[in-house]
Amino acid sequence: MTKIKLVVVTVLLSALWPISVSAKLNIFACEPEWGALAKEIAGNKAKIYVATGPDQDAHYIRAKPSLIAKIRRADLLFCTGASLEVGWLPLLLQRGASAEVQPGQLGYLMAADFVKTLEKPLMLDRSLGDIHPEGNPHIHLDPRNIAKLAKILEERLSILDTQNASFYQARARSFTRDWGLLLARWNKRLSKLKGRGIAVHHRSWSYLLAWSGLTETAMLEEKPGIAPTAMYLNRVNNRVSTKNTIAILRTTFDDSEPSKWLMEKSGVPAIVLPFSVPRLPKEGSLAALFNNILTKLENIAVRP
Amino acid sequence: MINFVFPLTLCILLLNITTTSNLNAQTKNTDSILAEINTLKQSYESRLKTLETKINELNQKGKTEQRSEKIKGTSSRKVKNNSFNPSIGIVFNGKLADYTKTTSEIAGFGVAHEGERGREGLGIGETELNFSANADNKFYGSTTAAIVREDGADKIELEEAYVETLPGLGLPSGVRLKAGRAFWSVGYLNEIHAHADDFADRPLPYRAYLNKAYNDDGVQISMVLPTERYLEIGTGLFRGDDFPFGSSTSGRSAHSGYIRTGGDIGQNSSWRMGASTLIGTTDGRKSNEDNVTFVGDSSIFAVDGRVILQPTGNSKDKEIILQGEYFRRDENGQYTDAESGATSVNFDGISSGYYAQAVLKTSAAWRIGARYSKMSPADVPAGLAGSALDSSGHDPVTYSVMTDWTSSEYGRLRLQYNREEFSQNDADNQLILQYVVSIGAHGTHSF
Repeated sequence: MTKIKLVVVTVLLSALWPISVSAKLNIFACEPEWGALAKEIAGNKAKIYVATGPDQDAHYIRAKPSLIAKIRRADLLFCTGASLEVGWLPLLLQRGASAEVQPGQLGYLMAADFVKTLEKPLMLDRSLGDIHPEGNPHIHLDPRNIAKLAKILEERLSILDTQNASFYQARARSFTRDWGLLLARWNKRLSKLKGRGIAVHHRSWSYLLAWSGLTETAMLEEKPGIAPTAMYLNRVNNRVSTKNTIAILRTTFDDSEPSKWLMEKSGVPAIVLPFSVPRLPKEGSLAALFNNILTKLENIAVRP
Repeated sequence: MINFVFPLTLCILLLNITTTSNLNAQTKNTDSILAEINTLKQSYESRLKTLETKINELNQKGKTEQRSEKIKGTSSRKVKNNSFNPSIGIVFNGKLADYTKTTSEIAGFGVAHEGERGREGLGIGETELNFSANADNKFYGSTTAAIVREDGADKIELEEAYVETLPGLGLPSGVRLKAGRAFWSVGYLNEIHAHADDFADRPLPYRAYLNKAYNDDGVQISMVLPTERYLEIGTGLFRGDDFPFGSSTSGRSAHSGYIRTGGDIGQNSSWRMGASTLIGTTDGRKSNEDNVTFVGDSSIFAVDGRVILQPTGNSKDKEIILQGEYFRRDENGQYTDAESGATSVNFDGISSGYYAQAVLKTSAAWRIGARYSKMSPADVPAGLAGSALDSSGHDPVTYSVMTDWTSSEYGRLRLQYNREEFSQNDADNQLILQYVVSIGAHGTHSF
């Protein structure tokens, strides 16, 4: 036993030894889109860690050891909020995060708090599926929200790291200007899509639909977060046809079976759209994400 | 002709008169209407002006509020009348158990009530009531009471009742202090509420060494170190009333220490490992329906490991969890067994136990799992031959397989088969059907 004690004490002491502290701001982004936006505004002035990848469903992430170590060092959390990360972020915050990144603090930035959320439930009951009291959390697929958050993030960064405030402001200005130009270009492309129907696996795309003027004709999950049943899919099949629906959308992390089944029955093509940008340090831009999504939708919309 | 002209002129005249009088009346009316409109206009204009100034004021206020909101940060908690009430959660759990043997004793170990085999037949397990909330910016409080059936009566067992520091207290980053009664950091499973287990019963080392779980009264301080790799250390001081201790006279006769680390394997998999100690003195630990009493020093050393493999990076689809723990117990004191007649027999021995399990999630709803647990009792002195501590050279073993179906995060149905070989040539085949359903707030589970 004494040997064990000795080992424990040695590890303790060696771990408490002062470690080099990097002067850079540490940003902990829960999802890759916020990591990419942080990169746009903060450039190389911040160290950005992205907790999840574009192929991961942020609803279902485990609060794993590596995330505790990362959040321990974070100066700013940049996440979606609206209960998207409710299964793991509170545990991380409780386990290792500093006082500065706790809810209500400057270092706690939840994107959904700053935009108008859609689909706020009128009634909260778990029999209705995985519903979020704050509304649909997948706000990043409306590019107008990205522009809003760029500004919000710049303001936060400028307060947290006053030394580089002018740097962040300049980058935010140029990002917002470029984004405005892109938005204008995308808006023109939307004319082909406006009013067309879309079936979705899960309501991951509500903000994209709201922006682009596409309308949801069906949802494959009868209740959000609950796997589609054969009986319900049959009913969806009666509602969906090539006449009223151009595509069945799903993410890479949705079960492919239901939409494939519906494609066979109804003839409506089932497609996978990218849900976010590649996870840092992999390169990928938010602009490319929207370009990519629009191109895929246009290709499907022009088909007879 | 004249006859015609006269009336015509008269008509024209009359017409003329009426129209002019009409016109006169009309001009009069228009004047008054205009005047009215003017007064109305004036009053509306003044009203509009006040409204405009009000709107401007509100706008200004809104802008400053927005600004201060941005600066202050945001909170996900909405303020409603009952928003400050604690989160409330209830866990229901029930079993249908069928055993082939009438009795079940883990040979070679003094096992207390919670470590024993569950009741046979239909019956509910513990109904857990949990209340928790932040007290203020410095403290968090949580309590879990379990209503259980024991000796033919429903009893309330206080599983947890602790306060824990929040970062707002100003302790160094990553440091937490927990005081009260809690499932302390010993091994891996101890901190986890039984309803979140992957099997319907706890593995043998937990049943024999910790009476299912160690939740004494005490304090524990822990720290997540500011290292690149996750590293957490902690130490605790406890009353020494809960199994494996008991009847503490000093009221602070047990202490613990632990260290944990973990990391990722590639993008989609992670691991964690830990080592812990639980050391103390007991002035009288009762077990085996109060027949066996131990007085002396008891030291537990445990190591635990857990690996989670996620082929797609999503815990929702497919997942493999490998988990194992090894326990070693060193005891030095006196054992008494009222049944065998051994009284205060000197005992100094080391025993050990471990389990290893694998759980495979095959789809969003289904999982299968297998577990093996084994205990190695200590050699007993001659005075304890034939007592509950004498295993006659047999190592108790349990084989378990289970499959469960998950309705959502809040509901689970499980079927488990155990084969328990607790003494020589004697096996107990067990079949357990279990449900675990929780309502209300449901804390995030440990990693």
